[in-house]
Amino acid sequence: MTHNPTIVVGIKQVPDDDEVRIDPDTGRLDRSSAPAVLNSPDRNALEAALGVRDDVGGQVIAMTMGPPPAADVLKEAVAMGCDDGVLISDIAFGGSDTWPTSLTLARTAEYLDADIVVCGEETTDSSTGQVPPGIAAHRGWAQLTYVEELEPLPEANQLAARRDVEGGYERVVADLPVVVAVAFGENEPRPAGLHRKIYAENEFEPVTVDANDLDIDEETVGLEASPTNVGGMETIEGVDRERTVVDDVDELAEAIRSTEVFA
Amino acid sequence: MTDIDPSEYSDVWVFVEDHDGDVMSVSWELLNEAKTLVEETGEELVALVIGEDVDGVVEEAIARGADRVLVADDGVFEPYRADPYGEQFRAMVEERKPSIVLIGGTHTGRDFAGRVAVPTHAGLTADCTEIDVAEDGVLQARRPAFGGNVLATIICEEHRPQMATIRPGVFEAAPPENDRDGEIERVDVVVEEADTLTEVLERSTGETADVTEADRIVAAGGGIDGDLEPIRRLADALGAEIAASRHAVDEGWVDGSRQIGQTGKTVRPELYVAVGISGAVQHLEGMNDSEVVVAINNDPNAPIFDHADYGIVGDLFEVCPELADALEGAEQPEVTL
Ligand SMILES: Cc1cc2nc3c(=O)[nH]c(=O)nc-3n(C[C@H](O)[C@H](O)[C@H](O)COP(=O)(O)OP(=O)(O)OC[C@H]3O[C@@H](n4cnc5c(N)ncnc54)[C@H](O)[C@@H]3O)c2cc1C
Ligand SMILES: Nc1ncnc2c1ncn2[C@@H]1O[C@H](COP(=O)(O)O)[C@@H](O)[C@H]1O
Repeated sequence: MTHNPTIVVGIKQVPDDDEVRIDPDTGRLDRSSAPAVLNSPDRNALEAALGVRDDVGGQVIAMTMGPPPAADVLKEAVAMGCDDGVLISDIAFGGSDTWPTSLTLARTAEYLDADIVVCGEETTDSSTGQVPPGIAAHRGWAQLTYVEELEPLPEANQLAARRDVEGGYERVVADLPVVVAVAFGENEPRPAGLHRKIYAENEFEPVTVDANDLDIDEETVGLEASPTNVGGMETIEGVDRERTVVDDVDELAEAIRSTEVFA
Repeated sequence: MTDIDPSEYSDVWVFVEDHDGDVMSVSWELLNEAKTLVEETGEELVALVIGEDVDGVVEEAIARGADRVLVADDGVFEPYRADPYGEQFRAMVEERKPSIVLIGGTHTGRDFAGRVAVPTHAGLTADCTEIDVAEDGVLQARRPAFGGNVLATIICEEHRPQMATIRPGVFEAAPPENDRDGEIERVDVVVEEADTLTEVLERSTGETADVTEADRIVAAGGGIDGDLEPIRRLADALGAEIAASRHAVDEGWVDGSRQIGQTGKTVRPELYVAVGISGAVQHLEGMNDSEVVVAINNDPNAPIFDHADYGIVGDLFEVCPELADALEGAEQPEVTL
């Protein structure tokens, strides 16, 4: 069966990172005006998944859990080459932290009969990196995080990967089903093909599933089932910097020399 | 749903991450910081050591502040794999019910933490930069959010344990005190090789640098375009360590242990020189507490200039060697101010 694996890719819509900058004067930002985009590490996940399909065939399905407008990222995934896209949406999911989020995604992966689940390293909005291991843990599946390269081994019903580890790398082989988190920036995501793009824009309709379809007990998801809560938010005072731009190297050397570092 | 009684849970656990006997320095940083938590709560500070032939690590954990060390020593744990580590750790948590569990936010720590937190339905806060504990024993885990301008406090009131991964470099390690006493307890190993889902075919690691100790840092970014020479030259002149942005690390120009930022190390040297680094929020998070920041960039609109004390707009391939010369001149007594 794994000569034609079902590869499910977790992707998320997030506020555009480039619009989310620290304003050095006020130390504040306006996220509401930031347009929603595809979490950029998820492009690497999509590329890795499509790469596996290039090697051994099968199908690639993108899944996103979020409100209906999040379906936009599914269009992008389909334009890049995914065979299909699933929107996982239900008010019951609102306020989920990583525990119920990964439960919901794990259920969806199972519902789609996934052999391989591919995720990004982390999201730029919640940046926990905990969802992919969470998906694996909810199902007792194998996991491969910080993946630089994937090598499907269909004969053995396994997936091998090169992982980035502190100070080097390792090569690991995992039994299927497996959850992969691709290291951000490790591959060159392919551009959307013209025909796929037209299809994604005009014809593609995502499959939509809710808690009921996934056979998820509403009490196991959402805010209530999230072990963690936000207890408070504090604006971080921007560090007050001199912000002096000097004209030449001698002046810069002088400035460095005059700091306490050289005292 | 899972109703538990938080009062049944006590003690602060710190995971000591070792690979082949080499301990990641974040583990010692956490042991030292956790001392302040147990002073607050009056509980035991427990270190967890998982690996093979780890006696040396166990001794050092006591010298670094652990009251008790739980040891799972078995060949199945070397080299590291998420599934056996997660399973062993989960079993220990379920049996002994710690209140707080701290894990270094390294690739390894972030890899297996979820395999403990999910089955135990624990609260897991990723990448914290500040921790303390309230009077009721609730951990206040703080982490930067929304691109770094907000510090969010994450709490977990109804579930236990309260788990957190902590960024490397944010806390200071204490030197070992070799005459400290502590209890060593060997635990049952619950994992068998036959049950594992993964196999490590090859592992290749070199020396990992510790840039968090450096007083001066010269950091290389995408602008160096593969040529580290100007960085080396300037670092030599300043007596500085070399670090890098993620771009420079991803390209393979600089080793990953030297990466600064949200997914790398946090540093606060006296002097941080950012060379050919744009100043993305994820980078700034790792170096914003440096005392003096200097930026060298050929784009006058690069965001890094807003976060630097001194900046120069210019080609790094010219600026770095010239600056090195000018600074070396400064070492001569007659030129020194
Ligand atoms: C989830 C996630 C986590 C991340 N974690 C980190 C992290 O931990 N650390 C980190 O650093 N980044 C991190 N990033 C990446 C970050 O968003 C930026 O992409 C990265 O920091 C860019 O690196 P850079 O500024 O060195 O490179 P670039 O963006 O390529 O910028 C190069 C700079 O060099 C300048 N330049 C080019 N040529 C020259 C020259 N000849 N002379 C002088 N200047 C020159 C350019 O003007 C430009 O400003 C993360 C991103 C994500 C999505
Ligand atoms: N709501 C979501 N829908 C689909 N995939 C997600 C969602 N949240 C997280 N993921 C996946 O998990 C990865 C890590 O996310 P995080 O743990 O939030 O940093 C992301 O890069 C996605 O691949």
